[in-house]
Amino acid sequence: MTEIRRWQHRRAPGEPVSAETRDSYYGLPVIHGPHWRWSIVFYFVLGGLAGGSAVLAAAARLVGGHWARPIVRVGRYLAFLAVLPGPLLLIIDLGRPERFHHMLRVVKLRSPMSLGVWGLIGFTATAFLNALQQAAEDGWLGQRNPAAHFLRRLPARILAAASTLPAFFLAGYTGVLLGATAVPLWARNALRLGPLFLCSALSSAAAMLALLVGRGPGNARARHALERVEQVALLGELVLLEAVQRGSGPVVGRPLSNGLEGWAYAGTRLSAGVALGLHIVTKMLPRRLRPPLRLVASLVALGGAFLLRAAMIFGGRRSAEDPAATFAITRRPEDPARQAR
Amino acid sequence: MSRESTLVGRTRARPGAFGFLTDTTLCIGCKACEVACKQWNQLPMDDFGFTGMSYDNTGDLGATTWRHVAFIERVADREGRRPTRLQPFQSNWLMLSDVCKHCVNAGCMEACPTGAIIRTEFDTVVIQQDICNGCGYCVPACPFGVPALSPLDGKAHKCTLCYDRLKDGLEPACSKACPTDAIQFGPVHALMDRAKARVAELRAQGVEAQIYGDEALGGTGGIGGLNAFFILTAPPEVYNLPAAPELPQRRVLPAFLTTALAALALGLATLVTFWRSKEVRHD
Repeated sequence: MTEIRRWQHRRAPGEPVSAETRDSYYGLPVIHGPHWRWSIVFYFVLGGLAGGSAVLAAAARLVGGHWARPIVRVGRYLAFLAVLPGPLLLIIDLGRPERFHHMLRVVKLRSPMSLGVWGLIGFTATAFLNALQQAAEDGWLGQRNPAAHFLRRLPARILAAASTLPAFFLAGYTGVLLGATAVPLWARNALRLGPLFLCSALSSAAAMLALLVGRGPGNARARHALERVEQVALLGELVLLEAVQRGSGPVVGRPLSNGLEGWAYAGTRLSAGVALGLHIVTKMLPRRLRPPLRLVASLVALGGAFLLRAAMIFGGRRSAEDPAATFAITRRPEDPARQAR
Repeated sequence: MSRESTLVGRTRARPGAFGFLTDTTLCIGCKACEVACKQWNQLPMDDFGFTGMSYDNTGDLGATTWRHVAFIERVADREGRRPTRLQPFQSNWLMLSDVCKHCVNAGCMEACPTGAIIRTEFDTVVIQQDICNGCGYCVPACPFGVPALSPLDGKAHKCTLCYDRLKDGLEPACSKACPTDAIQFGPVHALMDRAKARVAELRAQGVEAQIYGDEALGGTGGIGGLNAFFILTAPPEVYNLPAAPELPQRRVLPAFLTTALAALALGLATLVTFWRSKEVRHD
């Protein structure tokens, strides 16, 4: 059962023996990386999708007219369905899943994970209520059922407004959670990860809703509005992706520029760019060519949201393994090696 | 520079805090501390194997390794000076018995979402094993790479500064076993005074000694000092220690603020887009 330790961080071929202890302790990691893997990647993607959908549904309910009803309807359902696997994905990632409820012992304002647990509960509650009201309005709970009648009479605008705060929180806190660690890649980008994840959440949710509201003529206006939001979010995402890479620098940003994580990060940027470009180009094309291109753009944007989470999580794991990256962010200001960086 | 010199030897450790002073100039690399720790805390063995890089076959602190003796052979120092030109001191071997630093403001403790990590009456940081659910957030939240998840029981483990022994009025197993008193246990402020005197003595002998774990070095960036601190004779990076680590939780509030700003901007953009959405012709 004991984990087999691998010593793979030896000196590069051709380097002298003295190089082993010149810049680090035999190239061994300074800090311990997180154990997070695919379940957390999927949780981040689904959390973003759920939060983004709830925001879009709420905005459509608050300022949209009758035309926006498809967004409200699909957005409310999607927000609830997308968040449902979240707690499960988090619990199976625990070392002791049967103790998941220990998370509910405390509220700690300086621990983003503690806040996240409570935020997830708050979001699930509001999303459930919104979805339930939608189901009542759609007649899924029966027309004469008194409970359905009560749900239909709940103030929809207040329900919509109440869901926005937990929705934004769910979509963005994951970036803060990563930033509040000693992992160099995340620590260096602590201020950018939250906004980046928010943009990606909104763009992926808009893309997903545009796919789901359908292509009927009655939905054209709703789909257009969603695509505009998607473009704004993609633009913000592109700017932030560039800022993250530049802000990381050559040493801390190594996982973003080479290796599998580097490819994933490049894929994120490419897909955001391609999705944005397709939306713009589509407007200039003949009408019959537009629907398939829009479909492709939305799918590409969704894939980008997934690649971004995977690149950030696995890239963070790799940067934790790299002593040069840790020392790059922990050298004293007067250290000449820090100025040389 | 003047500001830094006023910080040397200063720690925000609370009065009555207990900790370690690990004096690397006295360490002979016998690993008795590693063995005593394993024995007292009944920690399972690590896999046997040779790292092939030095006498250090432990490699790292981990879930079942709470003391770790690092061996650094000074073939040449950072400036490329060969051993014949280095100070004739400790036969060009540096040895450091690494341990949990029991930070004055501990990143692992602030990160813990279950409240399993607590500060004891001795001002040490302990993971309560009946509470920990193995979420693993303390692991990357530690700037020194101390806590680790155990594959044996799925929970996070690290040095407890022998909480059970302290309760019985005994000193921790590692310092008890140390044959040269390189590991000293006691009240942090008394140890810090002792460390300052020792550093002055070493410097008078021409050794470039420094304290690691005060507010100038190691206990920086909101950490406020390390209750388990060290006397080093080389830059901290040589011992795999960060010179100026930061308390990760210092970034929580600023990061939430930028995220809130982004949320505001995106929310407004969405509202405006939906508000101004025009009727489009069927395409």
